[in-house]
Parts: sequence; structure tokens; C-alpha cells
Amino acid sequence: MKWGSTIMRRSLVAAAVTLAVSAGIASPSSAQQRELKVGYMKNPIQDASLDIMDKWAKANNVKLTRVAMAYSVFMEKVTATLTSGNDQFDVIWHNDDWGQLWQKWLEPTDDVSGMENASKWPLDAFWSDQKKMTVVPMAHTVGTFFYRADLLKPEEVPKTFAELVSTGQRLQKEGKVKWGYVGGMSMNNTWFSLWWSMWANNCDILKPLFERDNAKLKAANYDPAIAEPCHREIVEYWWDAINTHKISPPGMTAYGRNEANAIFMAGEAAFTLVDSTHFGEFNDPKRSRISGKIGMAPFPVGPRAQVPTSWNEIWGWAIPKGVPADRKKLAKDMLGFMMGDEEGQIEMWKKTGGPPPNVKLWDKIAAQDPDFRMLKHAVFDQKPVTHSAYYFAEWPAVHKAYSDAVIGALSGKREDIGKFLQDNVEKVRRAAQGN
Amino acid sequence: MTARRRILGLDEKQRFMIALIAPAVLALIAFQIVPILAGANASFRDWSLHDPQKTWVGLKNYLHVLGDHDFLTIVLPNTFGFMFASVGLSLVAGLMMAMLLNRRFAGRWLVQTVILLPLMVAPVIAAIMVRWMFNDQFGVVNAILGLFGIEPLAWLTQRWTAFFAILLTDVWLWTPWFTLLLLAGLQSLPPEPFEAAQIDAASPWRTFRYITLPMLRPVMVVCIVIRSIDAFRTFDIVWTISGGGPARATEVFSIYAYVEAFQFLNFGRGSAAAIIGAIIIVVFAMLLYRILNRWVEVSK
Repeated sequence: MKWGSTIMRRSLVAAAVTLAVSAGIASPSSAQQRELKVGYMKNPIQDASLDIMDKWAKANNVKLTRVAMAYSVFMEKVTATLTSGNDQFDVIWHNDDWGQLWQKWLEPTDDVSGMENASKWPLDAFWSDQKKMTVVPMAHTVGTFFYRADLLKPEEVPKTFAELVSTGQRLQKEGKVKWGYVGGMSMNNTWFSLWWSMWANNCDILKPLFERDNAKLKAANYDPAIAEPCHREIVEYWWDAINTHKISPPGMTAYGRNEANAIFMAGEAAFTLVDSTHFGEFNDPKRSRISGKIGMAPFPVGPRAQVPTSWNEIWGWAIPKGVPADRKKLAKDMLGFMMGDEEGQIEMWKKTGGPPPNVKLWDKIAAQDPDFRMLKHAVFDQKPVTHSAYYFAEWPAVHKAYSDAVIGALSGKREDIGKFLQDNVEKVRRAAQGN
Repeated sequence: MTARRRILGLDEKQRFMIALIAPAVLALIAFQIVPILAGANASFRDWSLHDPQKTWVGLKNYLHVLGDHDFLTIVLPNTFGFMFASVGLSLVAGLMMAMLLNRRFAGRWLVQTVILLPLMVAPVIAAIMVRWMFNDQFGVVNAILGLFGIEPLAWLTQRWTAFFAILLTDVWLWTPWFTLLLLAGLQSLPPEPFEAAQIDAASPWRTFRYITLPMLRPVMVVCIVIRSIDAFRTFDIVWTISGGGPARATEVFSIYAYVEAFQFLNFGRGSAAAIIGAIIIVVFAMLLYRILNRWVEVSK
């Protein structure tokens, strides 16, 4: 019995020593290896930006974990995470569309190194009420007018709405394309047909036109501009493009960007307008029949404008407030590295067509890269520039009410467009007021 | 014989029974009851997802939903229209296929397997396929119509054609489910009434009309009630095929609640819409069950 208990005691001591030693051996590395979790949308540009951060992570013994989410649930899921105050993600993808919704849940990023090299205009959506910045830019997302460079010389590219119709029809008649213009139009794709043409016709969704100061919009009682002549004209323009001139497919009112891009990449349309971030996809020979045949140009201009307009926004990264201080610091260091990695940002542009967040690099890239030179001329050099969204909490409801109004108008008779838009003015206003 | 030990007034058998059902009850409470109560709580509060104030607003959210002209004139009619059409068509198609499969013929096992294939497809995958099939440029539907000289249609740009695409998808997905249950029902029917009908030289239609259908009614009632409740809350295929568009023309109740809660981030209003929908479907299911039960009783 005594012998048995001695053996037992010795075994326990040996096990304890073994555990202690192995823990001692293991602990230095495991204690030093820290982890940062990034919640993002699976996209080549976001992955390229994460690749830059991965370089920093490896050099600093940090494990960078990528948690991909679908676009369709991203905002809802991350909003729920942020408001619960937990630290599920150390860094999250941030977008101007929901810039203001998250402002009180995000860590200020003014102190991230390299922020001084970011363009100031696209950051407007991300200021908190305390006048603190809440984002670090990842890449610029700009609406870009793409055309078939194998069918048109740069000087032949349409500069007005009317030329877009005539040039499109000419190419259709010559049998070079099936459609003149194709672009997304359904809800959440409104930019790629209705809105670019609206801004290019010197018009907007709410009055005062092009105002983004929430106090001024509220003072104006969120007055919709959708029944104004400048707006009615663009709805009539698209109605004609689909039904009269037939430069756009009859199903376009239901198209998202995927359908529109598929038609353009199949070589069946001469023009499209979509985020510049699709440039890489258009030039991927495995997916696109028009790889290497794509040009970029300023937006065609509507009858009420004299010069092309553009919008210039960013995708960015943000740090939730609920993240512990030590990981916040790590995340800021990592984002600072990303902002400072010129080589990595140039590589991101080359691989994906995502314009770098460090705007001081733009001239350098433009000097070497004709594609970037083309994009810079098509978008970044154009003034005036507008914001492609509004930055108040009810914006998603306004967008939906607007989309329903205009798609409804486009689905009916041309002569009813004016009345239909007028009938929907109050719906858009009520959406903006949260009613 | 020793007396059984009682704890909290329960004997061993009762405690064993409780232990058996406890996991299911706990799961039900955690994943059904608590979320419903939390949702009900949110529906009485000013609860936006991005900035939850959670202040008590009473029936404000309910009054907003019930006073929403679009909810009453578009969303509810669409929901009930979809439910009646989908359940009705799936039932008829399912019954026809069940009758067919209830007969002996070469290759029956193969047909049975093929017919069940839609049940194995996730609805959202089926919806993505259908969206591309009905695409006006690349879609196979227009390609086939073109072979017969029919002009291509922009299916998803008009209310009724978009509704047709959604309905077709739902019927395709759910007909096998009806087939399976009705076939099981058919195979469990006693042979004597059919033998008597044969002796009386009853025609196949009269046999079906006066023997098969009345005897199958209890199974059909269960199928109709379960499937109606399910069709009322359909979300995935409508969201994927049309997003409720064009311009809300195909919006159903679940899309309405989802958009309020997760696109507009108004969790309070979305919860109120969901509770209203739940009350409507509970009342409807009870009425439907009573009506159909009566139908079964009458048929006896």
C-alpha cells in the first residue's frame, strides 16, 4: 500500500515537472505571438491590402486572421458586433455608405501614421461628432466610365449624353456590339446608370443640390429633387435609352452590377460605368473577352452641365472601440505600415486596379503606368467632384425610396414619368425624416 | 417492496421523462422563446441597430407598419397571393406525380430519384440559377423561346413576369415534398375500396374523385397547413431573384421585415413587422386548419 502511494506521488510530481517544463519551453513563443482578426469582404483589393498588412504581421510575430463575410450581410453583422461592444474583430472593413452609422463605435484614427498622405475629400463621411477621424483608407473607389478601346479612338469617346446615344447606335448598326451602354440599375446598383447621369446633369437627390451638410439638409426639410426637371430628364433619358433608342438592354432596370459587368465582359456592350475597382476583373483574360481592350474616360455630360463630374470615395479600415488597448495599438501600427508601404500599394494597383490610399504616389504611378494615367484623367483630375452618398442614418431608407420611385417610373409609360416622380416626392422625404 | 424515493414530488419514472425532454425544452427556450421575447421587447422600443436607445415607444412601431400603405396594398396581397398560388400549384403537381409514382412501371425507381432532386438543392442556389435562366441576355428561357420565334422578354422588369419566375422556382422546389408525402399517403390506403370500385367498373376518374381524394384528404390537410405557414415566410428565393422589385412589385412580408430591420437598421420596426406577420399567420393557420378539418369531416 505504502509502495503504491509512493509510486503515485512520484508519478504526479514527474507529471507536474514535465508540464511545467513543457509550458516553460512553449510559453515564450506563444506569449509573443499575438493575433489580430480582420473582418472584411472577400475581394481582390481587400485581400491585396491585407497582403500588405501581412508583411508587417509576419515581421512582428503577429498572426493576421482574415474573417471573410458576404457583402449582403456585412454591414448588418458588423453593426451588431460593434453595438454589442465585443472584440470579435480588431480591424474591420469600412465604407462611406455606412460611415456615419458607425462613428460612435470606432476608435479615432487621426494618430495612425501616413494619414497625412490620404486624400481629405473622401474622408468626409468618416468624421465623428467629436471631430475625430474613424477610418484609414485602403483604396479609392471611384465611378469610372469604361469604353471599348478597340472600337473607338479616345477622341471618338462620347462627351455628352446625346453622343452616348449616337455612338452607341452607330456601333450597334455596324454589328460591333449588341448594346451601346449597359450598367447596373436595381437597388444598390443605382450609381452605375441613374446616379452618375444625375450628377452629370447637374442634379441630385435632395435639395440644396450637392449639399452634404446634414444640418443644412434638415433645415431644408430634406426636400427631394426627384421631380425637378433636371432629374426628370435623366429618368426620361434612360427610358429612351432602353425603349426608344435601344442602346441599353430591356432588362437593365433589374440589373445589378454582376449582370451589367457580364454583358460588358462578354464584349456585347460598348460602354459601362462601374467602380474602377472592376478594372482588374475586366482585364482578366480568364473571365473577360475584352481583356486589354478597355479605355477609361470622363463621364459624358448632360444638357444642364458644361464639364464632366466625378465622385471619389474610399474603402477603408477601422478599429472597433471595444478592442483592448494593446491590440488597438497593434492594429494602428499595422495600418500605419500599410499607409507607408509604397511598394505594396503600387503592387495592389497593378494586381487589382485599386488606386492607392497614399495620394502622393499617384503622380509617380501615372508617370509609369498608362492605365493609371487614364484613370487619373478620367476621374481624379475632373472637377467638380461630388459625394456618391449622403451621410445620415436614414440614408439607406432614402436610397430605397429613391430606387423604388425611379424604377417604378422607368417600368411605366414615358408620359407618366413626371407624375410618378411627383407622387413619390413625399415618400423620399418621409424616408429621410425617419417616418 | 420498498417505496420509490420521491424528489420534488416526482417519482423516478417522472424524473426520467423530464430528463429525456429537458434538452429539447432547453434548446427550444434558448433558440426560439428567448429570441421571440427579445424581438417582441424590441418592437415596443426605439431600437435602431446602429444606435440602440431602447426607449419605450409603446405601439408606435406597430401603428407605423399597420398604417403603411405599401404594407397593406402591396406586401400583404403579394404574400397571400404567393402563398395560395405556390401551395395550390405544388399540391396539384405533387398529387399528379404521386399518382404516377404509385403505379408500377419500368424505371420507377429512377423517376422517383430524379423527382426528388430539387429537394436536395438549397433554395438560394436554385434562386441564383433561376435569376440567370431568366436573364434577358444570357438566359436559357429566352434562348428556348427564340427557337419558336418568340421575342426575348425582360422577365424581371415587370411585376407579373417576375412573380412568375419566383413562383416557378418555389413550385419546382416544393413539388417533390408534396409528392413524397402524398405518395406515402397513397401507399397506406387500404386496397378494399379500390377493389370494390374495380368490381363496379368505376372509371379511373371516378375512382380518383370519390375514393382516392377523400381518403387522402387528412394527409393533404397536414401538407397544406405546414406548407402554407412556410410559404408565408418565404424570403430567400424572392430576395435572390427580384429583391422584392421591380419597385416593390414582388415584395413579400419577410422582405419587408428584413429591409426594415437590416437595411434600414430599424430593429424596432422590423421586429414589429415580424410580430404582426406572426400573428397574421397564426390566425390564418388556425382558420385554415378548421376549414380543412371540416372538409375532411364532410368527406367522411
